[in-house]
Amino acid sequence: MAGSQDIFDAIVMADERFHGEGYREGYEEGSSLGVMEGRQHGTLHGAKIGSEIGCYQGFAFAWKCLLHSCTTEKDSRKMKVLESLIGMIQKFPYDDPTYDKLHEDLDKIRGKFKQFCSLLNVQPDFKISAEGSGLSF
Amino acid sequence: MKDSLVLLGRVPAHPDSRCWFLAWNPAGTLLASCGGDRRIRIWGTEGDSWICKSVLSEGHQRTVRKVAWSPCGNYLASASFDATTCIWKKNQDDFECVTTLEGHENEVKSVAWAPSGNLLATCSRDKSVWVWEVDEEDEYECVSVLNSHTQDVKHVVWHPSQELLASASYDDTVKLYREEEDDWVCCATLEGHESTVWSLAFDPSGQRLASCSDDRTVRIWRQYLPGNEQGEVHYLSCRGGMQRLLTQWKCICTLSGFHSRTIYDIACLTGALATACGDDAIRVFQEDPNSDPQQPTFSLTAHLHQAHSQDVNCVAWNPKEPGLLASCSDDGEVAFWKYQRPEGL
Repeated sequence: MAGSQDIFDAIVMADERFHGEGYREGYEEGSSLGVMEGRQHGTLHGAKIGSEIGCYQGFAFAWKCLLHSCTTEKDSRKMKVLESLIGMIQKFPYDDPTYDKLHEDLDKIRGKFKQFCSLLNVQPDFKISAEGSGLSF
Repeated sequence: MKDSLVLLGRVPAHPDSRCWFLAWNPAGTLLASCGGDRRIRIWGTEGDSWICKSVLSEGHQRTVRKVAWSPCGNYLASASFDATTCIWKKNQDDFECVTTLEGHENEVKSVAWAPSGNLLATCSRDKSVWVWEVDEEDEYECVSVLNSHTQDVKHVVWHPSQELLASASYDDTVKLYREEEDDWVCCATLEGHESTVWSLAFDPSGQRLASCSDDRTVRIWRQYLPGNEQGEVHYLSCRGGMQRLLTQWKCICTLSGFHSRTIYDIACLTGALATACGDDAIRVFQEDPNSDPQQPTFSLTAHLHQAHSQDVNCVAWNPKEPGLLASCSDDGEVAFWKYQRPEGL
């Protein structure tokens, strides 16, 4: 008696069973595709931010050397802002994308960089592109 | 109600163009106007009429959006869509451009001098607010670049007595800034408007801030200092366990249902506000005499339809002559009005 119940169950519930299997397979497939897409997205965005901050850091270190010998009063503000910028860049959490103040701190770095450029009277033109340097004639 | 705001005169300040903004000098004797024709004009009285005393035309490549007089009255700053801010020095009737401040990435929308005369603020469509310091040799240095807003910043204004800066933005918020430990920081965000905040004005005492918006309302905000009488206490616990008392700003009044279009500008006197509206009208509101200062109420005491033939962009109360109001519009004209406080108020 129990045996025949199972057989009927197998037939009657076939639709639902296949549905469930299909759903689970689809879910797993979708999840792994999602993880890949997310990783690509993260890599791209992370690279952009890293590239931007890297540019600021290189710029800051270069100017630190250039301004090394300057000791006038006017230059004291430049040095202070420069040290502040370098400090902010070094404190930036590169290995924690879930840091809740990530964008706020990034905006502060951008602001400090702009202020420093204004004090130097320099307008830098960084071309941050994935394709490498873009030379045009 | 019509009689409470009387037209004194009109001048075609920026013909075939828009007149964007007006500023009275601190003495109340001169009015600066600026417009889409890239020019700034200085107006003064000669007898009963207003005449153009100077034209500042070589300063900007594009529209001049705002002008502001320094507290001493010897300098005029102009903010332009060409991404620069010019500082003009007054020498009797002549103005000479002594410095051009660069740095914003695109259109500069506003400029304002701090009451000390040592600081200047600018804001732009690039979403940032810049604070500049000026020394005795007229040298300007950027003291801070603030990236707090998430959209175009429309207006900046300083508190009349404290070194406190306010900004209004397309992101629907008003932000306040002060200097903390040698750096400028955003110390408050006022939320409540449902659309772009176009302009701001502190009342002469500095206790209240009025904002006007594309959402067709005016909001009045009040500062609650630590240890205030309302018993409102706000703490912030920082890393390290230290606690700091914050000042808090609350919206104490909303004027809605009075304007049929965007409100582009607001100007405050003690107990009275004038508004410039996209429906071509100028309105004046007076604070009700017995209203609770913590929850004030205002009444509409003047509503001038068709004050101009197009959008009114700016209203400005003369700082010395009570009731003298200037307005300007997309129609390129500047108008002068006498406001009479209605009987019984």
